[in-house]
Amino acid sequence: MLTTLIHRELLDNLMTFRFAAAVFITLLLVVTNTVVLIKDYERRLAGYDDAVKMHQRQLQETNTYSAGEMYVDRPPNPLSIFNVGFDKRPGNEVKVSHRYVPSLWDARRHGSDNPFMNIFTSMDIVFIFKVVLSLLALIFAYDALAGEYEGGTLRLVLTNSVRRGHILLAKYVSAMLCLLVPLLMSLLLAVILLTNSAVISLNNHDFLRIGGIILASVAYLSVFYLIGILISAAARRTSTALMLAMFVWGFLVLVYPNVTLAVIRRLESPQARTASTFNQIQQIWEEFDRKRKHFLATDAFPGEEWHFSVIGGGSLYAGFEDDPGLLRHNYISYTDFETLSDEHEPKIPHAQNYFRFLGRLVTDTADRTWLVRKPALENIYIHPAKVESAWLKLSPVGLYDATTQAWAGTDMHGVRDFFDTVRQYRHQVIGYFYDKDVFGSRAWFSADKGAPDWGSFPQFSFQRVDTNINAKRALPDVSLLLMINVILFIIIFLIFIKSEV
Amino acid sequence: MWHIAKRELYDNLNSLRFALATVLLIGLMLTNAVVHLQEHPKRVQAYRDGVAEYEDRLTAFADESLYRLAQKGPGDLHKKPSSLRFCAEGSETDLPRTTEGLIRWTTQTLESFWILRYPPVNTSLGSLRPDATLVDWSFIIGYVLSLIALLFTFDSISGERERGTLRLILANAIPRHTVLIGKFLGALISLSIPLTLAVLMNLLTISTSSNVHLGAEAWGRLSIIFFIALLYTCLFLALGLLVSARVQRSAVSLVILLLVWVSLVVFMPGTLAAIAGDSASPKATHGFYEHSWQLHYALEDQYSSRWREARGDSRKKMEVDGAFVTEDVEQQEHLHEARLKQQVSQVNQARAITRLSPVTIFQHLLEAFAGTGFERHLQFLENVKVYAREYREFVVDTDKADPESLHIIGVREGMSQKPVSPEAVPKFEDTLSFSKDFNTAAVDLLLLALFIIVLLSGVYLAFVRVEV
Repeated sequence: MLTTLIHRELLDNLMTFRFAAAVFITLLLVVTNTVVLIKDYERRLAGYDDAVKMHQRQLQETNTYSAGEMYVDRPPNPLSIFNVGFDKRPGNEVKVSHRYVPSLWDARRHGSDNPFMNIFTSMDIVFIFKVVLSLLALIFAYDALAGEYEGGTLRLVLTNSVRRGHILLAKYVSAMLCLLVPLLMSLLLAVILLTNSAVISLNNHDFLRIGGIILASVAYLSVFYLIGILISAAARRTSTALMLAMFVWGFLVLVYPNVTLAVIRRLESPQARTASTFNQIQQIWEEFDRKRKHFLATDAFPGEEWHFSVIGGGSLYAGFEDDPGLLRHNYISYTDFETLSDEHEPKIPHAQNYFRFLGRLVTDTADRTWLVRKPALENIYIHPAKVESAWLKLSPVGLYDATTQAWAGTDMHGVRDFFDTVRQYRHQVIGYFYDKDVFGSRAWFSADKGAPDWGSFPQFSFQRVDTNINAKRALPDVSLLLMINVILFIIIFLIFIKSEV
Repeated sequence: MWHIAKRELYDNLNSLRFALATVLLIGLMLTNAVVHLQEHPKRVQAYRDGVAEYEDRLTAFADESLYRLAQKGPGDLHKKPSSLRFCAEGSETDLPRTTEGLIRWTTQTLESFWILRYPPVNTSLGSLRPDATLVDWSFIIGYVLSLIALLFTFDSISGERERGTLRLILANAIPRHTVLIGKFLGALISLSIPLTLAVLMNLLTISTSSNVHLGAEAWGRLSIIFFIALLYTCLFLALGLLVSARVQRSAVSLVILLLVWVSLVVFMPGTLAAIAGDSASPKATHGFYEHSWQLHYALEDQYSSRWREARGDSRKKMEVDGAFVTEDVEQQEHLHEARLKQQVSQVNQARAITRLSPVTIFQHLLEAFAGTGFERHLQFLENVKVYAREYREFVVDTDKADPESLHIIGVREGMSQKPVSPEAVPKFEDTLSFSKDFNTAAVDLLLLALFIIVLLSGVYLAFVRVEV
């Protein structure tokens, strides 16, 4: 019986104009946007490659360790085509140095893109689904029950010994099957386009992640279909159901996310907290400066300058640099000599001794300030972001967005993973410095007896997290979506069972 | 005709969609007003603080000497926030609010003069907050009202045909175009009721607050904006009528309209901007700063021979120094400006192509009249450039007026050492000019009118030929 019902419903749905229109519009939008998005990704990847090359070249050209500026670059995520999330937003080059602990807030944007282009909204495939699939689901659902009530066919069907639950199930299954056609077809085309692109290489893990995105899309689609059925069952008249469905759609997709953010978002930054933390950080560095001066005052040549009045062919600098807005305050000293005259030779051991001491002290102080700086930055930037995304998750649209971001690895965690890796890399670099006694080497400040050996440096590499971690991050939101599905289904069932025909 | 309009109006007033539309629009407009009342004073305060800092700086340098004034420059120049920003946010958060006067280098004997620079906004770099379209008038009207307009008209002809009432109406001796105009006017009036209500409540909330002051000019602009909003609504009403007249069943008509709306309003702006931006992408500016320093060193090399010649002759050395500083400033500013020009032309191309979507035209119009957005930003940059020229001319003129000065711009010893009266220094004032706004808006206004005329004639043709 159930199969007959499903068969009937399926035929009813497949032969309609709305089905043809649904397939056409999703395919059109997804294919055009995928082409554009792939091009955009290719450009970002080219920008990344250029930046990596440029930074390597710049490092190779540096004469001394102390003047070397090591930058690591954040590669674009190929799955950002599905949900761009935060992939484009934070800076994509960050300096690795023993002088401070690099974080998301120290990253800059390398110069490949035009900052003005941010005024245009950027699209991704999930955005298309978010808008179009929900609309299609409602268009398919608004007359599912109301139409039968109005047409009187429901009475006819029920005079046969058909269970009401079966009718509901048949309608649900057949409509979902119809709606899956445009979804899966468009995703298939998108994946084909992706695999045909020369620069994008997707591995098995990526296909699993795309599978997760498809799963989330199906759950999302189903939520909207059920909302439509609910309206249809409650309204009983197609015209009322249609109007209600459209306004619910407009509210959930267009109005709710923007209005919530407009209402809860505040421009002000927690000034007091910033100022007190910055003070604390400054104090830590003042203590550092006292230790440094104490060392200079008590070593073999008391009372000299930090550079022991060694002057060579090149530049030198020492001092504090700070950025109160980002809670950064740190000590910089570099010496970039190509030549040194013999008269300074006796002072060299003392300088080496001092720089060995200084390197360790700067590293330790930087690590200590990070303990203060990290919670403050989390409080200023991460906390409000978390509150905002929690509010957005009150609507299925927000849940869908969050879960697909988690699958694609473009969510907050995914971006921060990169910076965690960068911090680990900094540890490696510092370990290398200690092992090779780089701080105390002559090449730290002068290249006259050989340039630094940049080739044997630890290499930076960033791997996106495993699929199971992605899954773990996506799970709460997916299960919420599924739960909404179940609840909606139960409510509809109850309404439908009790309704008079 | 009026009879038909009246009938349509009564039909609509009693309907569910009218009630829902009214509630939704009023809710959105009130949110908009409340958010604006909270945010606007902060923006104004930030601007005032910025201007005060700028003036203090100028006064301090003017008290010191003309040389200081010429060397340090005016510093950061601030863009004046528009009091009508609640009408169109115009992506102001992604546009810089200041330009910068940058001192690039100092040596033992020379200091670089300031150069005008256009730093991008970096506030978004550290933020992991979700993206949001801000709820401004251009969103409420451009997105929500346009959808509502389609919901009001999708069944106005096809529905009557389904019920058979269309045949009845046409059986009377009323010309078809009269019926059509009646229907159009009825829908327009029934839509403008909730719109007007919502707008009035919004403006009432904003104007009764003491935090925000709207002047006479602002009210003029607001009425133009309201007029444009009505025009834009007409466009979507016409679209709805067109599809409704061509299609036999109202369910089909709605599906078509919704899909057209989604593509026109939601997807076209972003996709077209991406396509256009991609084709016009400026060449990568990797190592822009590297390049700027390379140019600087090249210039230094060029001057090294002249410095050698001038050795021993202090007057001549000063002249060479001055020429070097001046040329360095020109070169660097030229470089920054060239980059800005490239970026602007990319955005302009993208903006031109996105005009294919009516919602973008509408947003551009609102931005133009609200004094926000990209065009406004370009106007600000233009103001800054004019001011920078004025400022430099002032320095040269004041220096000429000082008989003790050697008139060598760029070197401390070669310029007037006397303090300048702070009142005499030209002050930067960011202005919004109405005629300029109107010029930028004219194209968009024409395009919008063209869209409407095409659609309306389409409706007329479709309805006249309709088989009942």
